[in-house]
Amino acid sequence: MRRMVVFLCLISCSCAGLFFVRCTSADDIADRARQLHFSSIVLDTHADTPQRLLTGTFDLGKRDAEGHVDIPRMREGGLNAQFFSIFITGKTLGPPAIQQALDQIDLVRQNIQQHGKDLALATTAEEIRRAHAQGQIAILMGIEGGHMIGNDIRMVRVYSALGVRYMTLAHFYNDEWADSSTDKPAHNGLTHFGKEVVREMNRQGMLVDISHVSDKAFYDALEVSKVPLIASHSSVRAISNHPRNMSDDMIKVLAAKGGVIQINYERNYLSEEYRTAFAAVAGDVSRMEEKFKKECGDDNVCIGKAEIRLEKELTGAGKLPHVSWEKIIEHIDHVVRLVGPDHVGLGSDFDGADMPDGLEDCSKLPKITEALLRKGYSEEDIRKILGGNILRVMEQSEKISKEMQAAQ
Amino acid sequence: MVRAILCTGAFVAASVLLAGAMKADGLSERARKLHFSCIVVDTHDDTTQRLLDSKFDLGTRSSAGSIDIPRMREGNIGAIFFSIWMPSKVTGPDAVNRAIVQIDAVREQVRKHPNDLVLATTAAEIRDAHKQGKIAALLGVEGGHMINSDLGVLRAYAALGVRYMTLTHSGNDEWADSSTDKAVHNGLTDFGREVVREMNRLGVMVDISHVSDKTFYDALETSKAPLIASHSSCRAICDAPRNMTDQMMKDLAVKGGVVQINYHVGFLSQEFRDREKANPELNKTISAEVTKRCADNQSCQLIEGDRITREYVEQGKLPRVEFSKIIEHIDHAVKVAGIDHVGLGSDFDGANMPYGMEDAAKLPKITEALLQKGYAEGDVKKILGENTLRVMTDVQLISRELNGEKQKQESRLQ
Repeated sequence: MRRMVVFLCLISCSCAGLFFVRCTSADDIADRARQLHFSSIVLDTHADTPQRLLTGTFDLGKRDAEGHVDIPRMREGGLNAQFFSIFITGKTLGPPAIQQALDQIDLVRQNIQQHGKDLALATTAEEIRRAHAQGQIAILMGIEGGHMIGNDIRMVRVYSALGVRYMTLAHFYNDEWADSSTDKPAHNGLTHFGKEVVREMNRQGMLVDISHVSDKAFYDALEVSKVPLIASHSSVRAISNHPRNMSDDMIKVLAAKGGVIQINYERNYLSEEYRTAFAAVAGDVSRMEEKFKKECGDDNVCIGKAEIRLEKELTGAGKLPHVSWEKIIEHIDHVVRLVGPDHVGLGSDFDGADMPDGLEDCSKLPKITEALLRKGYSEEDIRKILGGNILRVMEQSEKISKEMQAAQ
Repeated sequence: MVRAILCTGAFVAASVLLAGAMKADGLSERARKLHFSCIVVDTHDDTTQRLLDSKFDLGTRSSAGSIDIPRMREGNIGAIFFSIWMPSKVTGPDAVNRAIVQIDAVREQVRKHPNDLVLATTAAEIRDAHKQGKIAALLGVEGGHMINSDLGVLRAYAALGVRYMTLTHSGNDEWADSSTDKAVHNGLTDFGREVVREMNRLGVMVDISHVSDKTFYDALETSKAPLIASHSSCRAICDAPRNMTDQMMKDLAVKGGVVQINYHVGFLSQEFRDREKANPELNKTISAEVTKRCADNQSCQLIEGDRITREYVEQGKLPRVEFSKIIEHIDHAVKVAGIDHVGLGSDFDGANMPYGMEDAAKLPKITEALLQKGYAEGDVKKILGENTLRVMTDVQLISRELNGEKQKQESRLQ
C-alpha cells in the first residue's frame, strides 16, 4: 500500500514536472514567486533589531547601510510581520534585568508609535491579519531569556500585559529555572518553578519558545505545555551539529504536538563545515559575548559587528568557508521531509547573527519563496512556511489561554 | 463621651428637620437615593498593600481595614484608585520591580472578581463599569521614586493602566521635592518637568499630593493638563505641610484641577496634630508598637497603626476626631476653590480614619451631611465623583492633542 502511494506520487510529480516545463518559463516562476511572496503574510519570529534601537542613532524608518532590518528593507522584502526580540545578557539578573527589559519593550512600543503609518503593534493572529490588510507591518514582541522575569512568575503576566507574545526559556546561560543548551546543566531541564512558569505562559497566551534551551529543558517544556511549542530561531542539528539546533527526534516530537521550528540563518547554525572551522579559530558562537567583552561590554550591536568583522576577515583569509543562503532552504526542506510542511517557518535572527551570502538582509526574503517554488513546493505549503504555521500556533495559544483563564 | 452624645443628638434633630424620613442607619431617603445614583470616585486607597498578603481576599468582608468588595458595595464606591506605594527610601530597579508586582496584584484582583471589578483607565470606562453594576478599579503610583528616573518605566506603568502618579511621597525623589523633606531641588528639576510633560502626553494625571509648595507651583506651570491632589486636605484648617493652602487650591482650580480631601485625622484636625506634636514620644511609641506587631509588613503596619491610634484615642492620649471634619474640609475647599474643584481621596487602608468614617461602607454619610448642609444634589454629585471624571476626560483629551502634535512634529522632521 505504501509503495503504491509512493508510486502514484512519483507519477503525479513527474506529470506536474512535465507540465511545468512545457507551460512555464523560468521567468514565470519568478513572477509567480513574487506574486506569492508579496501576497503572503511573511512572519519572522526573531530579529534583534531592538539592540540597534538602543543605540539611539538608528532610525527604523530609514534605509540603513548596516544591519538587516528597517522599514524600507522590510517593505522591499515583503516582510510584513516581525517579532522584535527583547534581549539583555543572561548575566544580568533580578530587578535590573526587569527594568532593562521594560525599557526595551517601551523602546519597541515608542518606535511603533513613531512610525504609526508603517508599523502596528500586534499581539494576536487577528491583529497581524488586520495590519496586513491595512498595508502595515505588524510588530510583535518576544522575550529572549527567562532571566528577564527576575525569578518572579508575576512578571510573565506583566510582560504579557505589555504585549509580549513569546518567551525563550533560557538564553546562552542557564537562568534560575531552566538549563541552556550552551551551559553546564544545573537544573536537569526545567525546575519545578520553571514548569510553573510554562503553565503561567500558557495561561497568559505567551508562546513557549524552546530555542536556546537544553534538550532536557525542551522535553520538560513539551511535557508541561498545553500549547504547542515554538523554536523561534533554531535550525537543524542533523545538518549543523550545534547544541543550539534541534535534533530530528526533537523536531518530530515538537511537530507531533503541533509546534513549529523557525529556521535561524546564522552561518554557524546553517553549516557544519563553517561551524567546525569557526569553533577551531574563534571559539563557539555562543561565547562571542565573552570573547568581545573587553571591546564591547554589554553593547550587543558592538558584539554582533565584531563577530561579523571577524567572519569577514577569516573568510577572506580562507580560514572559514563561504556559506550560501541556499543552506536555509536545505534546513527548511529537511524539516518538511521529516515532519511535513506544517511545522517549519522563518526565524532569521536578523540583527543578531551573521547572515549567509545572498541573504544579507530582509530585502532578500523573496528568494526563499522562489527557491521553494522551484523545489516544487505548493503555494499553499509555501504560505504556511512563510507565516501560516506560526499564525496557527498563535491562534491555538489564544484559544487555550482563554479556556484556562475561564476555568480559573 | 458627653460630647459625642450631644453631637449625635444634634445630628438626629437636624436630619429630622431637614430630611424627614430617616432609617436606622441615620440616612435619609433623599441622601440614600442620591448617593446610590451617583458615581462615587475615591482617588486614593492603600489597599494594594493588603493585596500583597496572599491570605487577604478582596471579595470577603474583612473585620480590619476599610476596603473590600462588600463594603465598597455597601458604600457605593463606583471607582477606586488603588495606590501603588512603597517608602521613598526604596529606590533603583528594586522600586521598579516592587511597583510592577503591585500593579500585577491589583490587576489579578480584577481578574479574580470579574463580576464585581473591572480595570478602568478612562472616565468613559468608569461610566461603563457603573452601567454594568461593577466597581471600576484604577491605578495610581504614589511617588516618583518608582520610575527610577526612567521615562521608559513611566510609560510601562501607563501601558499597564496607571492613570496618575504622585510626584513624590514623603521623601524627595531624584527630581522633585516633597513637602515633608528638606528641599534640595527647589521644586522640580528640569528632568522633573520632563516627567510632567511626558505624563501629560501619556494621559497620566499629575498628582501633587505630598509635594512641596514649590514643586506644586512648578508642576502647575509645566503641566498642560489640570492637576489633581489625589489625597490632600486644607492647610487653613489643619496646618500640615502635606495639606494645601487656600492660594494653592485657588491656583489649582483656575487651571481646572481638583483637590481630593484626605480623611486622615492628622490632616483633618489641628487639635489632633497639635497633640501629636506636643507629645513626640507618642508617635515613637506607636511606631515601636507597630514594628513589634508587624515587623516590616507594610499592610500590617497600616492597619495596626490605625488600630493603635484608636486605642490611644480611647485612652484619652489623643483627641477624638469625628467624620464631620471631612465635611468641614470639603466645605472650606468648595468656598475657596469652587464647587467644581473638590472630591474624595480617603487614604483608606493607609491612614487613621476619623470616628464615623471607619470604612467605605460609611461613605453615604458624606452625602447625607452635604445635603444637610444645604448643598444642591447636583453639587453633591460633583464632589462625589463628577469633578474627578471631568478632570480625567480633560487629561485624556489633552493627551490625544499632544500625541497628535508629536506625530505632526515627527512627520515634519522626516
